[in-house]
Amino acid sequence: MSTISQLALLFLGAALVNNILLTRFIGLCPFFGVSGNMETSVGMSIAVVFVMTLASTATWVVWTFVLDPLGVGEFLYIPAFILIIASLVQFVEMYLRKASPVLYRAMGIYLPLITTNCAVLATATEAAKPGFFKMNLDLGATLGLGEALVYTLGVSVGFGFALLTFAALRERLEIAPVPRLLKGNPMAFITAGLLSLAYVGVAGWFGL
Amino acid sequence: MVDLTLILKAVVALSVIGVVTSAVLSTAARRFHVEVDPRVERVLDALPGSNCGACGNPSCFAVAEAIVVGDLPANACVAGGQAVADEVSTIMGAVACEVAVVVSARQCGGGDRAARAYEYSGVQSCAASARLAGGPLVCEAGCFGFGDCMRACPFDAIVMDERGLPRIDLVKCTGCGICAKECPRGGAGLLRLVPEDAPVVVRCNAHDKPKDRKAACSACCIACKRCEKDCPEDAIHVIDRLAVVDYEKCTGCGICVEVCPQNCIDLHGRARGSDAADTDGVGKNVPGFTTA
Repeated sequence: MSTISQLALLFLGAALVNNILLTRFIGLCPFFGVSGNMETSVGMSIAVVFVMTLASTATWVVWTFVLDPLGVGEFLYIPAFILIIASLVQFVEMYLRKASPVLYRAMGIYLPLITTNCAVLATATEAAKPGFFKMNLDLGATLGLGEALVYTLGVSVGFGFALLTFAALRERLEIAPVPRLLKGNPMAFITAGLLSLAYVGVAGWFGL
Repeated sequence: MVDLTLILKAVVALSVIGVVTSAVLSTAARRFHVEVDPRVERVLDALPGSNCGACGNPSCFAVAEAIVVGDLPANACVAGGQAVADEVSTIMGAVACEVAVVVSARQCGGGDRAARAYEYSGVQSCAASARLAGGPLVCEAGCFGFGDCMRACPFDAIVMDERGLPRIDLVKCTGCGICAKECPRGGAGLLRLVPEDAPVVVRCNAHDKPKDRKAACSACCIACKRCEKDCPEDAIHVIDRLAVVDYEKCTGCGICVEVCPQNCIDLHGRARGSDAADTDGVGKNVPGFTTA
């Protein structure tokens, strides 16, 4: 298989087949928290793509050049990655505030909000630590930085895609004649379950 | 055998990462420092600073910024009222602006007189009980009486009285409307913001058939239209099977309060300036009641 098609497979696998929200159930708090309307979901999705990509790059570099050579990564990766991701987001926030107030306002509170979000930490760990994540997809040896980036982009785009789909559904449900006792959260949980079924179906489709 | 070098390596690795990131952050804090308009600081001082969120913004700081930029008017602070608006407009160099002061009013007189659909013994919270088959009351508009509004009020203006209904201290009430947002039936009109000088309040907000309503609660508005007929100012009307006061026309004569056979219209406190000034509505059955 050529490298390009391998990367494409990795991207699709990360975005759809192993969708972080609906197949693996990581990061469900923003999934329910901000999906009430489309506007907040768009802000959240953009911020997630942005932060996840940066965080994975940073953790990949630290893992490859500091933690792994010293042999301490196995037990130190969680505190080290949290530290890195948190300060990275702080840094980006300061930079954006100075350099691009428009972007800063667009991301608003979502930037600090997802600082140590579980989805961000999980993806950053998977991208950096070889063999941590088994996707039934043999890419040969370890994930290089390029592959780590493609993988992270896949996950974050998958996150955004699922979140926006869900937000759109919930906006429709707001005006739908839902039985009184199921209005609000109960209906959201049912919808999420059905949506998850669809995503798990994609995995079955590929025979993974 | 514990590998001491491994521990040392771990400590060194984490400290190096920590030192490097903090160095980067402190440099960035200085490099990317953004000058803030000094007026933001002063406007922030003028605002109450309770971050109550009544205005719909996340914090007083966000409001201060928006006022200085011009996105929000000087009277944006709901809780602060006229005093804060004056101060803010002085800082902003603008002409003083009027604030329409509102207070919260409870539109239910049910309490322990409202029939229960079932015995609720779960978490003592209105929000929790409302999720269980629509709540323990037969009436679809009544107050559950678990006091979510009381706990939510940032100004301690609400107490639960002996009937299990919230009583609003109109001296403390700033009209922030948080109680109405917190109340699971607030959106439907159980707690509602009325003008500060509203002289009367209808203690019911049910719209179903008067017959069903009467079975659900003995204190409800029965849509008899006595108030509508007797009001000299044409200020009260039965709309959609419920008496509704038009505060533009109401003069506070109190005739509707007297004629209501259900005692479900109350005099409202703040406007009268009498000893009732700090209470939320004085009914006909309360000692000392007189119509002005």
